[in-house]
Amino acid sequence: MIGAAILEASNLGRRFGGREVVSGLSLTLAKGDTVALIGPNGAGKSTTLGMLTTALRPDTGSVHIGGLDARRNPHQARALLGVLFQEPALDDSMTPRETLHLHAALYALPRREVPALIADALDGAGLSEAGDRKIRGFSGGMKRRLELARALMHTPRLLVLDEPTLGLDPQGRLDLWGRIGALRASGMAVLMTTHVLSEADTFDRVGIIDKGRLLALDSPDALKRVHGGSADASLDDVFFALTGKALRDTAQPVRPALVRRRA
Amino acid sequence: MTAVTDIPAALDLRVIAMLWRREVTAYLSDRTQIFGGVSRTVLWLVILGFGLGATLREIEGYTYSQYILPGVMVLNVLFASMQSAFGLVYDRKHGLLRQVLVSPAPPLSVTLGKLTGGASIAVLQGSIPLLFAPLVGVPLSVPGLLIAWAVMFAMGFALTGVGVLIATRIKGLKGFGSLSNGVIQPLYFLSGSIFPLKGIVGGIGFLDIPQYLRDELRQYGIYAIGGGWVVELPLWLEAIVRANPISYQLDLMRHALLGFHQLPLTTGVVVCVAFPVAALALAQWSLLRLTQD
Repeated sequence: MIGAAILEASNLGRRFGGREVVSGLSLTLAKGDTVALIGPNGAGKSTTLGMLTTALRPDTGSVHIGGLDARRNPHQARALLGVLFQEPALDDSMTPRETLHLHAALYALPRREVPALIADALDGAGLSEAGDRKIRGFSGGMKRRLELARALMHTPRLLVLDEPTLGLDPQGRLDLWGRIGALRASGMAVLMTTHVLSEADTFDRVGIIDKGRLLALDSPDALKRVHGGSADASLDDVFFALTGKALRDTAQPVRPALVRRRA
Repeated sequence: MTAVTDIPAALDLRVIAMLWRREVTAYLSDRTQIFGGVSRTVLWLVILGFGLGATLREIEGYTYSQYILPGVMVLNVLFASMQSAFGLVYDRKHGLLRQVLVSPAPPLSVTLGKLTGGASIAVLQGSIPLLFAPLVGVPLSVPGLLIAWAVMFAMGFALTGVGVLIATRIKGLKGFGSLSNGVIQPLYFLSGSIFPLKGIVGGIGFLDIPQYLRDELRQYGIYAIGGGWVVELPLWLEAIVRANPISYQLDLMRHALLGFHQLPLTTGVVVCVAFPVAALALAQWSLLRLTQD
């Protein structure tokens, strides 16, 4: 399975300051597979993505990306991933062209191909005319499009999206969602976290995480049938059935890769 | 730490150059930093230099403004380096660093890009007081300038490395401000920037010291060029100054610009090499830990 899967996570666990944030989580994605992870705030979604993207070292378990052990070969494994963070990971003082040039250097893309790759990326993102303007004046939607273009520039085998439509207006959300849909149609494997259950409903499989555990992972229809009580049930019904309706006022989990903590 | 078995070629010049360029571009587009460098220079060199200079008259034959010129350069280097590292606190929460850390780029090259960028900005900021050198009567020579720039680069590189170590271990922007002040001020005040280890401080009303007495004092390592009294730091304070790596780099720079030094120049050269290397190792370790812990 390790050789065939694009992503294989087995028995992942992570603690922060004695608190178990993720425990015994296993997940596999094959080529073209799309999986959405949903869960209440503080459920462990971002920590899980942190471990899956090599940004955070798991305390237990293993992650293989494209057959590579992410702990032993993190750099090769990272080259297979495209990552879109929850909040923009851009330098506002740079232009999109400079941002993409930097990305090309970080991923060691062939120098001769870089100008064409950047032109394609800017064109695909609808940012050709804004390619040499400072990012600080961009709307949230423009930043998201740029980030998506950057995440795809090195042709990753797995696209990881952490709440990609967070903070976007309806038009921006529609546009981004259309782009993600096109990528899925092209056969790219996509792993996404989201709080928008209608977005998750369109994915091949939906995983529901709570209190650091993967409670269920199946197609939306199967989840509705098994946990929602009927085929007419919505994903909301499934979500509340598995995680309850009580408010979650606990502190947010520590963002992976951003804050160093002792296990 | 987990053994990483597939680190690509550690030195990727393209990555270093791109990250260096990013740092310098951000600096050039931020006029507040340049303003800070100019205002610090005016405050210390012109206002304090001439103000205190009216009373002290001279230190070791140099006016107070001349004496503290290299010290003000060091102050600007300290602020610039810490500010470069300060960017990392924001960067790792909301900026580009997360993207860099999940990329396959060689970690050493990422660190070098950051530190060379910080060092270059430090040289630019540290050079601002040099624009005031003619005003305070310090003649500049090409060899002197080259040495001063090399020393400032080494100092800026090392201090950015120390700043990275701090920036990766704290959570908030406020904490970094307090910590960096806690680093900058002791390093500055305990480097001999504003007072000599020992020597003659000339005050108004003191008679000039006769040449034969100056020659005699020189045999004891006291360089009495002007008139005034002999000052010598207490042993505990001198020990701290001698333990501060910035003291040696500053002394080297003062030698290059004024032709005056109080510490062994060889030690200054060694510090200029060893301090950046040690800081690079620390910065590299702290950046790696961001993803390994």
